[in-house]
Amino acid sequence: MEPSDDQKLSKLLKEWQVPGAPPSLDRRVMAWRERWWKILLTGSIRVPVPLGAALAVILLLMSVALVRKPAPSRADSTVNLVDFRPVDDPQVRIIRGQL
Amino acid sequence: MTSADLHAAYAGHKDVLYRFARRMTGSAVVAEDLVHDCFLMVWRDAVVYSPNRGTMRSFLIGVIRNLALKQLRRERPFLELEEDSGVCEPIDPAGKERGELVAQAVAGLPPLQREAILLAEYEELSLEEIASATGSELAAVKSRLHRARENLRCRLAPLLEMKGQV
Repeated sequence: MEPSDDQKLSKLLKEWQVPGAPPSLDRRVMAWRERWWKILLTGSIRVPVPLGAALAVILLLMSVALVRKPAPSRADSTVNLVDFRPVDDPQVRIIRGQL
Repeated sequence: MTSADLHAAYAGHKDVLYRFARRMTGSAVVAEDLVHDCFLMVWRDAVVYSPNRGTMRSFLIGVIRNLALKQLRRERPFLELEEDSGVCEPIDPAGKERGELVAQAVAGLPPLQREAILLAEYEELSLEEIASATGSELAAVKSRLHRARENLRCRLAPLLEMKGQV
């Protein structure tokens, strides 16, 4: 190997030119650096499918449970006795039926 | 890191990082993503620069180098980072630009040899800086560079011979 071999190789390697960072990169970096708080309005997050599906099912079940009216139960029903008037003179007639 | 520090680091090193990532991965889109992720990590303090451990440039190159190797592993999970075996298969220069042929030859190097030659030849880092950026021993960097140059000399022999004739 000659001493100039490295120089020849270096010179040849330099023929592969690559441009510097594109303006689109500047825009991306400056965007999150200057307006990081906007992520609260416009940001998005990645959610794994199983987790997303589970959350969707839970939300669906909760909304169904909220929308459905509970069936009136006798135990919970209250009786209002404000207008209750006892009968003054009850004439009770006993009817005997024939068996 | 303050916003002003980040701005200064980005303005001063974005081109070096982008060129390195692009040559390392062979893709402009991936390189842009890697540089973006690199600065996002720095901004969010996911990685912290310490002046005791070298220059800011070495630090950032180290971050993007790790991201690039991770990307390469994702694309090719069984890729050997450092191969002792030579990759001497001279390229066929027919119908291609010289720069394109050089890119093809460099892309054929094992990743650790590739990063060493990219940092030494294109970004002109010293051996110590390369060792610092890649977290490697100086002797390992020298060895990788030596093997990378040997492999490239062999692969690019058709172009080197043509150049010698001119």
